[in-house]
Amino acid sequence: MPSIAEMDLPLLPVEDPDFQRDPMPYVDAARERHPWLARFSQGYIVHGYEAVKDLAFMDDKLVMGLGHVVDFYQVQGSPWARFMLEMLQSHTGAEHARIRASVAQAFTPRRANEVRPAMRRVITQLLDDWTTDDHFDFAEFASYFPIAVLCGVLGVSTEGIPRIRRAIETHMASLTLDKAKYPAFMESFDLLWDYAGELIAERESAGANDETALLDALIAAKNAGKLNETELRDMLLVLLIAGYDTSKNMLTLTMYRLLDRPDDWQRCAQDIGFCAKVIEEMLRHSSIATVFRSVVEDFEYQGHVFPRGAMVAFAMPLANRDPQAFPDPMRFDPERKSANRHLAFGRGEHICLGQFLARAQLEEGLHLIAQRISHPVLAGDIGWRPFLGAWGLSTLPIRFDAAA
Amino acid sequence: MVQIIYKESSGAEHPVDAEPGKSVMQTAVDNGVPSILGECGGQLACGTCLVYVDPAWREITGEPDDMEEATLELHADNPHEGKRLSCQIKVSEEMEGLVLHLPDSQY
Repeated sequence: MPSIAEMDLPLLPVEDPDFQRDPMPYVDAARERHPWLARFSQGYIVHGYEAVKDLAFMDDKLVMGLGHVVDFYQVQGSPWARFMLEMLQSHTGAEHARIRASVAQAFTPRRANEVRPAMRRVITQLLDDWTTDDHFDFAEFASYFPIAVLCGVLGVSTEGIPRIRRAIETHMASLTLDKAKYPAFMESFDLLWDYAGELIAERESAGANDETALLDALIAAKNAGKLNETELRDMLLVLLIAGYDTSKNMLTLTMYRLLDRPDDWQRCAQDIGFCAKVIEEMLRHSSIATVFRSVVEDFEYQGHVFPRGAMVAFAMPLANRDPQAFPDPMRFDPERKSANRHLAFGRGEHICLGQFLARAQLEEGLHLIAQRISHPVLAGDIGWRPFLGAWGLSTLPIRFDAAA
Repeated sequence: MVQIIYKESSGAEHPVDAEPGKSVMQTAVDNGVPSILGECGGQLACGTCLVYVDPAWREITGEPDDMEEATLELHADNPHEGKRLSCQIKVSEEMEGLVLHLPDSQY
């Protein structure tokens, strides 16, 4: 049985700007040579739907690969490296379950529905602030939304957002595996770490105990001995970071996709049920996350041996465009009926904790934005983000008629 | 082993030999029972292992706890009675002959 290290696999140039703009010509060509597996500069990339789905469940063989990210930058022993290796996603089994359980209650479908009114207030305020003119960069606008919602969930003031927004963006760039970004994201990590510490200290000294505020619940979990101090601070950072690029990029891509579908845009303004269908098809058509795993012991899958130590990336954006799972995958159809569900939130132990919150805020956001921004058109050049980590648009300049 | 019968809305039945201690979701997935997805692997994080417990068996399978109720809200518009997330039902010896009805879709 061949090891994937010895196979003549196609190479996907994920770092190439042309790939970031449109990966599909490369992926279509790669599929001719192997239906679900390719190489990239740092390891292997799984792009077939069934393969990602199956492998994502093998948490015991394929642990989260943040150790590879740390190794890539050769910064073992730094505070950032400790965070990357000890945060929620880097754990597995009982430890993972314990830490995840400390916040799980705040992320149920019920809780996501309960915070919808707060989401509407946040987005309405943002729209009030941003629609005084008839144009803006939608990517920048969208960057304020998920983090403001998360502050609401945590029960903390949104005053800190200007201070940390850029730092979160910069910190996430560590996942693009670009060594030039290292000094900036280390600095950003220090800023975020201090911010998290200050937030916790403020809440503790105020003796706050709001049962709807997640940060108070986390502090209570620490006081009850369920989390230690470092885990509490790590968790707060994970929550701030994980919901940021993901939701912002999905919202921006949704705006972009609907620019040439004015009838759909109009319908989104009128019908939040239709918004839910649009978001679900966007998560299928243009999902953004590629996640890294690390092979902890040799194992076999579909006649392929995965060797210990290999870095394996699950490319959700590509798996969700696998024609074997989704016929005519590049067709965007909010009414699409499919036997398969997209992999945008992953599968298995590390399935996205915030998936219901994400869906709710994307639906509410789209519905209100479509009401306030009429006849949006592209008003300049768009820019694409690196494919690895959280893919999407870095800039989306639009012009529109502002509705009252 | 005890036998669990998963029934589709079409009437098609899937009798499965289930191992006590394992979850009803995992038993279904391991035996290729249609319609039970279990996307999160059984940690009450996805809501895609919905079943309707047959009225005769609800006492034995029990009621959902708070976390399960909060997750079942995903299926709030679904009018069926006896809704449970099957990752939260652990197979036991007294479940010999348990009948569970399968939804047409999990989402």
